[in-house]
Amino acid sequence: MPFSAYLESKRADCAALVQALGQHFPYVSILGTDVRATTIRADKRTSAVQEGSGECGFVVKMNDGRAFFEYSLDDISGDKQALAKTILEAVKTDPALESSMIAPGPIGDDPMEKDFVRETDFAGYSDEELLGVCKELVEELSRKDERVLNALCILQPFVVSKIFVTKNRQLTQHYGWANGHLIVMYGGEKLVQARRTEGSDKLSEIIEKLKAGVDPVIDLAEHLTHATPIEPGVYDVITDASITGLIAHEAFGHGVEMDQFVKDRAMAKHCMGQYVASPIANMHDGAAATHSVASYFFDDDGVLAHDTQIIQNGILRSGLSDLASAAQLGTAPTGNGRRDSYKRKAYARMTNTFFEPGTDKLEDMIASVRHGYMLFETNNGMEDPKNWQIQCTAEYGNRGRQADRPLRVPRGDERLCAGPAQIHLHGFGPWQGDRLRHVRQGV
Amino acid sequence: MMNIQTLLENNREISDWRLSQEATQSYELFFVHRQLETVRATDTLDTRVTVYVDHDGARGDSSFSVSPAMAERDVEEKIVSAVRRARLVSNPPYTLPESGALEAQLPTNMKDMDMKTLGRQIAEAVFAADTEEGASINACEIFLYRDTARVLNSRGIDKSQVTHRVMIEAIPTFTDDKQSVELYEDYRFTVFEPEKITAEIARKMAEVRDRVRAVKPKTPLKTRVLLRPHEISELIDTLAWSLNYATVYSHANPFKIGDDLQKDGNGDKMTLTMKAVVEGSEQSAFFDGDGTALKNTCLVDGGVVKNYYGASRFGQYLKVEQPSGDMNCASLLPGTLAQKDMKNAPCLECASLSGLQVDLYNDYIGGEIRLAYYFDGEKTYPVTGITMSGKLSDALRGMRLSSETTVQGAYEGPALMMIPEINVL
Repeated sequence: MPFSAYLESKRADCAALVQALGQHFPYVSILGTDVRATTIRADKRTSAVQEGSGECGFVVKMNDGRAFFEYSLDDISGDKQALAKTILEAVKTDPALESSMIAPGPIGDDPMEKDFVRETDFAGYSDEELLGVCKELVEELSRKDERVLNALCILQPFVVSKIFVTKNRQLTQHYGWANGHLIVMYGGEKLVQARRTEGSDKLSEIIEKLKAGVDPVIDLAEHLTHATPIEPGVYDVITDASITGLIAHEAFGHGVEMDQFVKDRAMAKHCMGQYVASPIANMHDGAAATHSVASYFFDDDGVLAHDTQIIQNGILRSGLSDLASAAQLGTAPTGNGRRDSYKRKAYARMTNTFFEPGTDKLEDMIASVRHGYMLFETNNGMEDPKNWQIQCTAEYGNRGRQADRPLRVPRGDERLCAGPAQIHLHGFGPWQGDRLRHVRQGV
Repeated sequence: MMNIQTLLENNREISDWRLSQEATQSYELFFVHRQLETVRATDTLDTRVTVYVDHDGARGDSSFSVSPAMAERDVEEKIVSAVRRARLVSNPPYTLPESGALEAQLPTNMKDMDMKTLGRQIAEAVFAADTEEGASINACEIFLYRDTARVLNSRGIDKSQVTHRVMIEAIPTFTDDKQSVELYEDYRFTVFEPEKITAEIARKMAEVRDRVRAVKPKTPLKTRVLLRPHEISELIDTLAWSLNYATVYSHANPFKIGDDLQKDGNGDKMTLTMKAVVEGSEQSAFFDGDGTALKNTCLVDGGVVKNYYGASRFGQYLKVEQPSGDMNCASLLPGTLAQKDMKNAPCLECASLSGLQVDLYNDYIGGEIRLAYYFDGEKTYPVTGITMSGKLSDALRGMRLSSETTVQGAYEGPALMMIPEINVL
């Protein structure tokens, strides 16, 4: 599946519009997006094969040494001078606001022309084959246990094509990703929902993992029907990769977004160079830091992907920035300018955020917990970077008491607890860092 | 638009089709403190086409998007591809809504206002609340939208609706010599009343000042909790979701018609109605994505589930004679207790949560509390750094609803909900 022919056909239009608007603004960029998503799903009684929520359009970004101006539109064909005039009129401000604009530093526009491609295996699968996989998995889930009231399998491949053009820069990127989900509604002592999600840029891997996930998801559902709630309290917890990733995301992903530094909305701004975590904690963010769902080649500001070390041996080292926040702070952008779509503003947002592996073994962690929980799978979280608190939700967990019986992993303990287990971390800062020195990381 | 319609009608394999469009014009202002950082404007048109193909006693469907820049040849290819995909799908048959024409405008006073002037006036109304020493608005984002939604189908539906709406996201902040704290404000309206904006932001400014002096109360404690409209709305949304035709058809509903959600309860009985139009709500609509005319539907009456609601297709699957259409606005009847009477015994009034967590399957309600007001029986003081956690069934059984009502987002109903003894850590 090649780079979008539609965007390729608009390359010259982008350059011409940059030139037309360049008469009015020292910095002009255009981002063109063509994201094609497909949804294939089946449950016990219905199915669907259709385009998912993709996007196709352009966003123009301009700076005149003061505020940034953006205009989102569907098409950039036609008379560029006329279009430039339309854009200038659309982003005009009321005169009363003219005098209260920011004054950022210069915007970089280093020359570069490059086309980035990362192949997928999506073209090797027809709609028929993928729907067949979904139906087969739904049938298998349904056959496994009569208490499966409904089973759902969803495959969602999407292919991204983006073009970025400035006076000195022409970049294109083309890559794909896919998500796969198994969900069962299961009746027993009570109605429960159990799910399993896989992601990759190889559908072959996702299909294989979903097939292997049939028994575990039924097993989880069965256990959840007789899980009991956690008694509210303060406990030691061990978190699986999902919850650990969520903590990284909420605490030192959102917590170090540098557009929040500009607004004085992040305590992290005042903690650079200080201990904010256990000395064994090393945390990264970056589209180039690892290969995962947020691995792109350049961000929506045309900045190449980075590997940013946020925390090094427990010390806060760096934040994450988009073009606008970096220009205001006088720092180099870190490749974290991200838009929901071409219709939305770019913000400094996380990409792949993760901890480096540690040296502790899971069984040692379990042995160290006298009375606590091992928590699995999140579905929700919320950050509060100013006040340095986070809320994380775990869907289920295992509880254990060392004197009684250790935590068991993987799940299977009849004392499975039902969620959502709320984890609340309050006030973890350099002055309370000793609380986090007990954090351990799995290999 | 007419070209797509013609292309669809020319394809003999198509049994039915639906064409949905959403045209959006926006003007957006982004402030860092009081300085303007970004000015945005958008002018976009989303077109979504669904083709329906009846085959082998079943109905298949497939949808795709059309960009305004797309050539007719490309649209034709997409139609052919969608027909092929629809033939892969064998769903139980259903019909599309028929014969209806409408051109509607939701009530607003912003229809003829210039967006740039209005944006400036809204900004002035927001910053007019920033008057106190130590207080500031560290960020403010103002979004002005004019949305035009249109639905056509092969059965004679042609309906459109224009909505003017504004969303303000503001970050009231208070700083003293020891700390700096903030709260999050999300304020939406369809009628521009600058004094209301200033009053709403001022209310939040007062609360953020309270957050500076908020303390963690002695915990654990068990107390009555008062929820405000934002959180009541989240709870009601979750209950309503569980009673949607699609949820019921997919067996994801923990409640069914006839269930008493407040069995053996001693609180106010809940009467919940899904509504097409709630005055002042940007979620109001006259028709849904299929073009179905929306019909107000009482879901819960006196605590007992009476009806489901939702899109025509799943309504037909459930053998509902006249499906209600899928709607967003929820209306809860008020109770008999005045707000002041709710607050005259020990209670915790939640002013700001990280997000109310409601889990129907695990009978849970809870969340992290960023700011609340705790009345200990003698005095009221602001508290922070706590978490509440309880059983949803207990909350529903014993809940009391205020006699005073309000509109917030898609919610219309009591301004306060009191839930009985709940654990706070």
